Amino acid sequence: MQHSIRRLVLDVLKLRDPPLPEFASTLCSLPNIEGVKVSLVEIDQNTESVKVIMEGNNINLDTVQKMMKDHGAVIHSVDEVVVQKKDSSINL
Amino acid sequence: MESLSRVIDRIRLYIEVTHISDIARRYFVKNGMDGSMTVLGIILGSWAARVENPYIIVMAGLGACLAMGVSGLFGAYITEKAERKKIIKDLEESILSDLEGSLQQNASEFVPTLAALVDGLSPTLTAMISLVPFIISMVKIISIWDSYIVSIILTFGTLFALGLYLGRIARERMWLYGLQMVAAGVVIAFVVFVLGGMQTT
Repeated sequence: MQHSIRRLVLDVLKLRDPPLPEFASTLCSLPNIEGVKVSLVEIDQNTESVKVIMEGNNINLDTVQKMMKDHGAVIHSVDEVVVQKKDSSINL
Repeated sequence: MESLSRVIDRIRLYIEVTHISDIARRYFVKNGMDGSMTVLGIILGSWAARVENPYIIVMAGLGACLAMGVSGLFGAYITEKAERKKIIKDLEESILSDLEGSLQQNASEFVPTLAALVDGLSPTLTAMISLVPFIISMVKIISIWDSYIVSIILTFGTLFALGLYLGRIARERMWLYGLQMVAAGVVIAFVVFVLGGMQTT
């Protein structure tokens, strides 16, 4: 593949369990992910709205989506995507 | 070995996600107390009736253990399964998505089994502690009358230990909780002795 997703910003609705540290660690354990930042936006009785920022090399959105579903979370929207050519060195 | 630690990690995650540890703790103490109290009733009743054959007490105690164990296993499993199904449906409504194959769904399928084991085994365990002296008496190591005394001490000790555990959870004076549990046993003893006394007069 010529292009790869380097950065994703997602609006996610997740259940309150697992808590944020476990949720973030699980996402970070996915292949090609170098770092994950999860910020709490809104909290409800059973759910949390969170902003997930993922950085890595050649991030697979389908894998991310599946992992989230397995942990009781759904992607509401993809708010930002950074795609770069494999050999690109520019910093967007 | 690695797969075993992975299984343990998964069970730990299931426990964390479902918050079952609080419920299991309640099941353990409540049913553990049931086990001790039931066998205490059998032992004191047998003493009042001057039962001299330890086999009768052991079999009556084991029968009660089995009944409590099976009742606990099935009762807790079905109750917890129904509760978990409700929780999953509520969560699915909250997230507007199905949770089929998710961590929460898998945890909810595992948790009734854990609750059933705790609920079924705790009365059996505490009841067996009280029956040990009579099992020893069956092989003529100690007399039946010594078995009664040792067993009553062990039963009150078990009740006190359960109370201490509750006191530790509440982070209050542990011995006070222990004494409250023992007091419940004393009530049984009092009633049985009154009934026993009425029968002999």
